[in-house]
Amino acid sequence: MYDKILHKRKPVLMKACLFLLMVIGSSGLSFAQVRTVKGTVTAADTKETLPGATIQVKGTSTGTVTDVDGKYTLPVKTEKAVLVFSYVGYITKEIELGNQLVVDAILELKKTTLDEVVVIGYGSVRKSDLSGSVGSVKSEDITKITSFNPVQSLQGNVTGVQVTSPSGTPGENPAVRIRGVGTFGNSNPIYVVDGVIVDDISFLNSNDITSMEVLKDASASAIYGSRGANGVIMVTTKMGKTTDEKTVFNFSGEVGIQNLAKKIDLLSGRDFAIISNEIKSGTYNNVDAVPNTDWQDLIFHSAPVYDFQLSASGSAKNIQYYISGGYFKQGGIIDKSNYERITLKINNIYNLSQYVKLGNNITLAPYTQQVAPNVTYEAYRAKPTLEPYYADGSFAAVTGVGNPLADLEYSNNFNKGVRGVGNIFMDVNFLKDFTFKTSFGVDAGYNRSESFTPAYTVYNPNGSISQQQNIMSRLTKNNSYTFTWLWENTLNYKKEFGKHSIDAIAGYTMQNATSNGLDIAGDNLIRDGESFWYILPSYIYDPSNDVNTISKIEESVNLQQYYSMISFLVRVNYVFNKKYIVTATFRSDGSSKFATNNQYASFPSFALGWNVSEEKFMQDIKWLNKLKVRASWGKLGNDKIDYWERYARVQSDLPAIFGINNDPNSGASYGINGNPNLKWEVTTQTDIGLEFGLFDSRLTAEFDYYNKKTDDILVLLSTPGYLGNGSGAKVMFNAASVVNRGIEFNLSWRDQVGKLKYNVGVLGTTIHNEVLSIGGNSGVDSVLIGGYLGNGLPVTQSKVGLPIGAFYGYQTDGIFQTQAELDAYPHNSQAVVGDLRFVDVNGDGKIDGLDRTYIGSPIPTFIFGFNFGFEIIGIDFSVNIQGQTGNKIFNGKEAVRPDPYNFESHVLDRWTGPGTSDTEPRASFGGYNYTPSDHFIQDGSFLRVRNVTLGYTLPSSWSAKIYMQKLRIYVKADNLYTLTKYTGYTPEISSSDPLSSGIDNGAYPITAVYSIGINLNF
Amino acid sequence: MRTQAKLYFSILVVTTSIFFSGCKKFLEKDLQGTLTQQLFPTSPSDALLATNATYEAVREWYYSAGGFPIFDIMSDDARKGSNPDDAASTVGPYDVFTHTTTQDGIDRYWNALYVGVKRANVVIEKIPAIAMDEELKTRYIAEAKFIRGLIYFDFVRAWGGVPLVTTTDPPLKLQRSSAEDVYTLIISDLNFAIDNLPLKSEYKNTEIGRATKGAAQALLARVYLFRNDFPDAEKYAMDVITSNQYGLEPLFIDANGVNGNNGVESVFEVGALQSEITTGGGNQYANTQGVRGTPNRGWGFNRPTIDLRNSFETGDPRYKGTVINLGDTIDGIKILGDGPTPDITYDEHGNIIEIECYTRKVWVPGDNVITQYGHHRRLIRYADVLLMAAEALNENDKPGEALLYLNQVRQRARQGNNAILPDITTLNKDELRDIIFNERRHELAMEGWRFWDLIRTGRAAQVLGPLGFVAGKHELLPIPQSEIDISQGSLTQNPNW
Repeated sequence: MYDKILHKRKPVLMKACLFLLMVIGSSGLSFAQVRTVKGTVTAADTKETLPGATIQVKGTSTGTVTDVDGKYTLPVKTEKAVLVFSYVGYITKEIELGNQLVVDAILELKKTTLDEVVVIGYGSVRKSDLSGSVGSVKSEDITKITSFNPVQSLQGNVTGVQVTSPSGTPGENPAVRIRGVGTFGNSNPIYVVDGVIVDDISFLNSNDITSMEVLKDASASAIYGSRGANGVIMVTTKMGKTTDEKTVFNFSGEVGIQNLAKKIDLLSGRDFAIISNEIKSGTYNNVDAVPNTDWQDLIFHSAPVYDFQLSASGSAKNIQYYISGGYFKQGGIIDKSNYERITLKINNIYNLSQYVKLGNNITLAPYTQQVAPNVTYEAYRAKPTLEPYYADGSFAAVTGVGNPLADLEYSNNFNKGVRGVGNIFMDVNFLKDFTFKTSFGVDAGYNRSESFTPAYTVYNPNGSISQQQNIMSRLTKNNSYTFTWLWENTLNYKKEFGKHSIDAIAGYTMQNATSNGLDIAGDNLIRDGESFWYILPSYIYDPSNDVNTISKIEESVNLQQYYSMISFLVRVNYVFNKKYIVTATFRSDGSSKFATNNQYASFPSFALGWNVSEEKFMQDIKWLNKLKVRASWGKLGNDKIDYWERYARVQSDLPAIFGINNDPNSGASYGINGNPNLKWEVTTQTDIGLEFGLFDSRLTAEFDYYNKKTDDILVLLSTPGYLGNGSGAKVMFNAASVVNRGIEFNLSWRDQVGKLKYNVGVLGTTIHNEVLSIGGNSGVDSVLIGGYLGNGLPVTQSKVGLPIGAFYGYQTDGIFQTQAELDAYPHNSQAVVGDLRFVDVNGDGKIDGLDRTYIGSPIPTFIFGFNFGFEIIGIDFSVNIQGQTGNKIFNGKEAVRPDPYNFESHVLDRWTGPGTSDTEPRASFGGYNYTPSDHFIQDGSFLRVRNVTLGYTLPSSWSAKIYMQKLRIYVKADNLYTLTKYTGYTPEISSSDPLSSGIDNGAYPITAVYSIGINLNF
Repeated sequence: MRTQAKLYFSILVVTTSIFFSGCKKFLEKDLQGTLTQQLFPTSPSDALLATNATYEAVREWYYSAGGFPIFDIMSDDARKGSNPDDAASTVGPYDVFTHTTTQDGIDRYWNALYVGVKRANVVIEKIPAIAMDEELKTRYIAEAKFIRGLIYFDFVRAWGGVPLVTTTDPPLKLQRSSAEDVYTLIISDLNFAIDNLPLKSEYKNTEIGRATKGAAQALLARVYLFRNDFPDAEKYAMDVITSNQYGLEPLFIDANGVNGNNGVESVFEVGALQSEITTGGGNQYANTQGVRGTPNRGWGFNRPTIDLRNSFETGDPRYKGTVINLGDTIDGIKILGDGPTPDITYDEHGNIIEIECYTRKVWVPGDNVITQYGHHRRLIRYADVLLMAAEALNENDKPGEALLYLNQVRQRARQGNNAILPDITTLNKDELRDIIFNERRHELAMEGWRFWDLIRTGRAAQVLGPLGFVAGKHELLPIPQSEIDISQGSLTQNPNW
């Protein structure tokens, strides 16, 4: 059989020669009969001609495109030719040429989205043949949001997906959660970029992406087995079309301005002075004469954002290509923060023969990020009665906080590096129905972090040294290098015979990840300038200067990025009569993170689909043109843990100090105990889905019920103190279960009235998140404490029956109005009249730590999106709204108060005597009322106008005059408006740690962006 | 045709060979740059490393009662300190005995002590199997037993009976042993240490700071004193005195100060470097109590009370050696203190209840935070041994000898000024008991002993009652609630908590 395959092949070289001969032949020596066919291509919907439509002679490489008037001329050699007319967004049409010399084509608009091709793991399927739950976003929606990270575009566009930014820091990756939070550790999904598995996609320019597909249920994501539990996001980048013989150039340019979306309402100088006097009389002699510094105004300002991209794509002589260069730069609304990135993209497919394809997808992305210190929090706390500068222009001391402007001035933090992600692959088609594919991909990154703080001192008004001081200049650097390779080999069998359609794939993959970091630090540099930011051993021995002391040299592996994996995978998708779909998937993964006895785990899934609308009895129901039900069940895994959790480790940095000269004597001993019995965390997911299209698919809808139960969750737990692991030290166990369940819906209405095309869509997801067990019989803690505030107090407790990272603290019940009331109720000894009344939850007659209780969930119970858009006479308009309800925010920045800080303005409603307030306690600079309680819990619900875009596309006849195929200009606004009760900068508070989400610790605020842009096709 | 065949063939070969050869090997990822416990300690140099690490355990910040010197704060000698709001709800309750089973610090203290126990157990359990110089091996084990005895004595004072861990691999579930069992282990460990540790003078200059025979004897004397076993307390205290290894620093401030580091008065101290990181050799103990504000030396917790300030005998120079007042100049540095902290705090009747001041016992010359980390905390000093001897001798009806040692302490304290701190002459046992007790307060103020002295002598209820102390409850700390929770009921709570 093997021989037979080989005999069918013609060597590439021979083919090339043949091709060459043919070219030469056709140019001069041809005896074939050539006719010239002409025609016009028009759109059925608009009745307008279509410039740039492709016409190709079927089965050949002969083809052309229509001119500005939609006309074409094409030399055709053979008589029995079939012309293929295609245009983006229209149904491809084939017309037999026969004897005609004039062939006009009218192309129908593609109305339905149900039959689009959907990218899934290791392949793609027609949507009608899909049995799993997959959400999809196309290019035009991906580029709508101005962001360095394309994943931002999923928010509000795909059901079940929540994308939130931990802060507005330029270049900071958002947290992505698919169908809730299923684990206590890393809850991020994986990304598969053209077949390469990566942890994030910050290296991609949005304009380079064709589509992103979110694999949500077990049927879809089980093919990624061990890594599918948090969901999988498939990213497909652009590729030149075989039909585009002329190079298509595309330019996108956008310039925007970012502003602080919202200011926090803090006290003015005068109000602060009044309240200070109330707390301690005589603090300010004349409240009308105090300064009024608005620290927020001092640190925030408008900042620009630029995004440019130029691409060229097409095909030539068996080569399909897409190359692009992009530049993105985002200034920060806080000084000394910004992000700049260049992206280079080269995608090629080389059609070596009818049977062999080679290809590559390569992205190279150098970047520079500057990170500002957390002055947002300082500006929040700084007293408004303090001036930022002294009369001589030097920085003034800001007691207890530090002067944010000085912090900015002396901060220099950079991340500079380059990320390269790409793969080369080969497809070999044999025996007609088989395709063997091998792909070798790499994800390589180099990052250099650099931070320099000069020696400086901020003085108190009396000339003494304030706490804001850096005695010696300090330079710290981290050089890290990450390299992951992934080799995947798959064999695909695809066959349709009679009413049967089979698509089967089997594969074997290997992956290896290494990552190393070198930290070095030096103090007391010889000069402050950037050109001296080097840690040079030669300076150390200079006795006169004693400069450049090396204070740290440490090399280590990145605990998350040091592993290897081997996987076997199989999937069979069988469709009978276009009606019945059966999908079975199996993946077996081996991971180096587990000891030999638990190294491998298997992840099966099974799904059924039924295209009810294909049944005869449905044919009479004209208004219902599509109806499909599907159900899936499967198991998924997760091994996103530090590679060393299974090892009992020795701690080697335990020096003792002995001798008359105070010498450090190295020490080492048993550190934390590992857990050699660790095994895979397994998520079992069930999904039942319903899809339908009504009224000629004007209305399409998709409903899913999902139930995702994660068992044997890999969780770090406190161990009994007597094991000697130390305070706060945790050991990993497979010891928890969590369930996430809910309903997703996505309704969309698309129609055209005359020249007006419009669409309306709503989508939503409900999430019920509940911890089913923790600890179990592992002999370790059965509650999980987290969410530590700046003062070290924890405010989340995950325990059975509550959501992950549930807030806990004291429950308040009004305010002690009188001494009699205070005496009558159990109270903490520090409480006085005017203070918050904590509830004696356990009823033991006293208020203590045991009375802390559940006070809210950081996980929304409902997230939703709303889209509206229309197009008419070249104008396009769209609005994207999103929101969530049911979650709470812990205002952590307000609850930490070791020193007198400024207040949020609600303190003006404080208790000042019996009956004055039952919600806002007497004013105080910290202490009892700042014990973590529901006083700091706020409603996190919001509704946000995420994006509004208004664009205008020049009529094609006009743009053609300036040699453009398409010219569109637009204006847009991101984060235009947010409706929320939350008092902070944004209600979208997230954290990479599920035990700390929803806690506002005063992060860099997100921005509103107003931009103008242009898209050119030529 | 051949090209294609080659291509397919090579793919086939590469795939299958990798497939069948490397699977097992490929998935092996050893621990990088870190030893596993199976591989340590296995050599003489490992043995030394493991022994040194036991000393680090007592330099850890949490070893100091969970980070804060809560035992002084729980006595009549110290208030919480810092500014009024700082740690008001975390450390504040210890000041007035409203701390609870979930109080911040208790769990850290508990955990830190067991870290020390584990490190000592590594030496005691693993080093015997290492082929090395037997004498050195025995000394290492004796050093570790000293540290383990020291820590279990911290344990039994604070909680009574606790789970007794004497192996590196204890079971996941343990119950509390009785206090008596804990004492039995302490006494046996310290006796081993006494028998096998060198005298202080037998150590090389570079080794000063390691546990000595004298340190073990002094500690054992202290243990017996807590058990009211005065004959044994006397025996071991006298062993230290007659060893002629120790004396008193001429200057009182040097007894805890930098000039007395590893000096003649030091029986056991925790060496430290001026580094803000514990693993870099620093000790945050002094930073916690250091002057707050200007100069910025630390957080200013553990503030001497009005009562302590007023209790010193007239002219006692130890007052200045214990309390730093605002306006003082020490080592050329003017103490200005903290802005947000009131210099003087009054009660509703206008009485002064607190004065912003700091403890002198942790002072290290310097005007910044880092230097403060270099303070060598004295865990046992010779003056304490003398006072323990005096106390035991008096209880054993040898008041004359008791006076000898008591007056040695007073003589040093008066710094040559014969107008103050006259020699004590009374031979009345009860009177002398009170005088010695009072002497301990002033000699050892702010060094963490006052609370325990009140407890072991049964005076706590009387002295601390007004502050909130409840007899039958506050003699012990509560077992941390988190530990009880984790143990799923196998650990029981102390009475009345």
